Amino acid sequence: MGRIISATLTRALLALLIVVALGPILWTVLGAFKELRDIVTPVPKLIFDPTLDNFATILRNPTIRDGLLHSAVVVSVSVLIGAVLGIPAAHTLARHARRYGDDVQFFVLSLRFMPPVAIAIPFIVIYLDLGIYDTLFGLILVYLVTTISTVIWLAVPAFDRVPRDIEEAAAMEGCSPLEVFWRFSLPVAAPSLFGAIVFTFVLVWNELLLALTLAAQNATLPVVAASITSLGKEVPWGVINAATVVLVVPPLVFIGLLMGLLNTSVQGGRK
Amino acid sequence: MANITCSSIVKSYGDYPVIDGLNLDIPDHEFVVFLGPSGCGKSTMLRMIAGLETVTGGRIEIGGTDVTDLPPGDRGVAMVFQSYALYPHMSVADNITFGLRRQGLPKAEIAPRLTQVADMLGLAPFLDRRPKNLSGGQQQRVAMARAMIKTPKVFLFDEPLSNLDAKLREKLRTEIRKMHLQLKTTTIFVTHDQLEAMTIADRIVLMRDGAIEQMGTPDEIFERPASHFVADFIGTPAMNFIDATIEPGHVARSGSIALSLSRDLFPGLRPGQKVELGLRPASMDLVEPGAPNAIAGRVVLVENMGAEGQVITEVDGREISFVTAQFRRVKPGDAVRFALRPDQIHAFDPVSGRSLLGA
Repeated sequence: MGRIISATLTRALLALLIVVALGPILWTVLGAFKELRDIVTPVPKLIFDPTLDNFATILRNPTIRDGLLHSAVVVSVSVLIGAVLGIPAAHTLARHARRYGDDVQFFVLSLRFMPPVAIAIPFIVIYLDLGIYDTLFGLILVYLVTTISTVIWLAVPAFDRVPRDIEEAAAMEGCSPLEVFWRFSLPVAAPSLFGAIVFTFVLVWNELLLALTLAAQNATLPVVAASITSLGKEVPWGVINAATVVLVVPPLVFIGLLMGLLNTSVQGGRK
Repeated sequence: MANITCSSIVKSYGDYPVIDGLNLDIPDHEFVVFLGPSGCGKSTMLRMIAGLETVTGGRIEIGGTDVTDLPPGDRGVAMVFQSYALYPHMSVADNITFGLRRQGLPKAEIAPRLTQVADMLGLAPFLDRRPKNLSGGQQQRVAMARAMIKTPKVFLFDEPLSNLDAKLREKLRTEIRKMHLQLKTTTIFVTHDQLEAMTIADRIVLMRDGAIEQMGTPDEIFERPASHFVADFIGTPAMNFIDATIEPGHVARSGSIALSLSRDLFPGLRPGQKVELGLRPASMDLVEPGAPNAIAGRVVLVENMGAEGQVITEVDGREISFVTAQFRRVKPGDAVRFALRPDQIHAFDPVSGRSLLGA
């Protein structure tokens, strides 16, 4: 009997936590499909006539559409380059330069110590001088600092966990260091690396301050979404909710794609 | 044809040499065990032969080819790791055949070889599984299959049985030995377990502090240990050591103990010389009063080992143990007499620890 009660209580607690965690998201998603009068009623409405107007507004609005495109380009390019450069660097640190590893790890982490505000202003000056202010290239460049360092920082422990014996066994079979990395270290570390890349992606996808200061016309989605909130007294709640949904969906799609990739790559060996 | 020759091998980490000028010859087809306590350099030596560790100085030849600077894959050696080191993202079959597939061998040639090794090691039912779904013993067999399928010139085993329970260890030890009798591939096997070494080896290379302490057949190592260290390391229960002084008549005396030594084995002993005697518990047994070379002691403890028992006695305030099948007759507090033949007594120089055989 006691067991049933405690099980019920545990479940109730879990349900409460889920409601607390997912409630705001659910409300935002619902809001994205509501008309303004359904949102601002004093009595919250769960049953309403759904509308796609908010999404239409968003996607018809060239600023938002461009913002989405810019975000997609800037984030995917900077994360991709970050992974391509950062993952091999992390493997080298974990395996071949272990004695410098901790120092490099700390240096990489220290890049994240400085508040972005502190680097934003010098960057404006430098970018204006170089003529890359308000360009996607400029944003990618500054995001690379974030992506490469974060990927390295998270991938070194991932490679540390790959048993050295496995790499040595592969070397005994005649694999070159590159082959060992590509066919053994990488697949074995893949699940942890996947987490590192997702984290990095979310980090730059949501980045607002540098994007706000280093780009004007070529703004990314967080900048656009932020600007919607300052449209005046008549706050377009439905549009903001729809914009939030649009902002949240790409990372989810990205995570889904990566998971699929991971599953196929892990099963690839089975044949 | 794959003998192994190591000449003047030096291995240093920084300024500190862990192996300093080691020479070793391993004839073709031989099963050699590197034995020693942890940190003696046996695994380092094996890894240098494998090519996983750079050699600071000296030369390694396998089958007449200088392999000192060759990468591991070009040496014609296969290695079995203590942790098995199976590829977790591949099936058992892919683990075993990876090396051959990498060399680009046609599938038609790989398949029969896979069947052959899988049958030999009883792995046929598990070929589609992932390594993590196998028991420790099965994983070890996969690691062995992966080494065997390449038909290498040399097998290297780095403490392959240490992670297994005692019963399985014994079973696999026998299997490895049988496999060697069948394939006759030159094999180096590293272990810190002296019993494993004794049972499996054609020859034992006993190492200590990066140098070879003694090299020989298990019998030679057991019967004629070259030093105190070897004598102490080999044999269970461990040897008793007694400091004694030589008296006229080729007798070694220590308190109440007086043991006559063999003049043939130790012709150089002089009266007054200090020696350290080594008495194997297994060479001694209970004797009747009046028997020669007897030691009188009082039983402290009897340890039942099944067929035999180890009796620990107190003699002149120190402990001496011996092994007897009649251990059930004695109990703590009893006065007992036990003895051994003069030719079973070992004598070492108390300073250098070297054996005084023939000296």
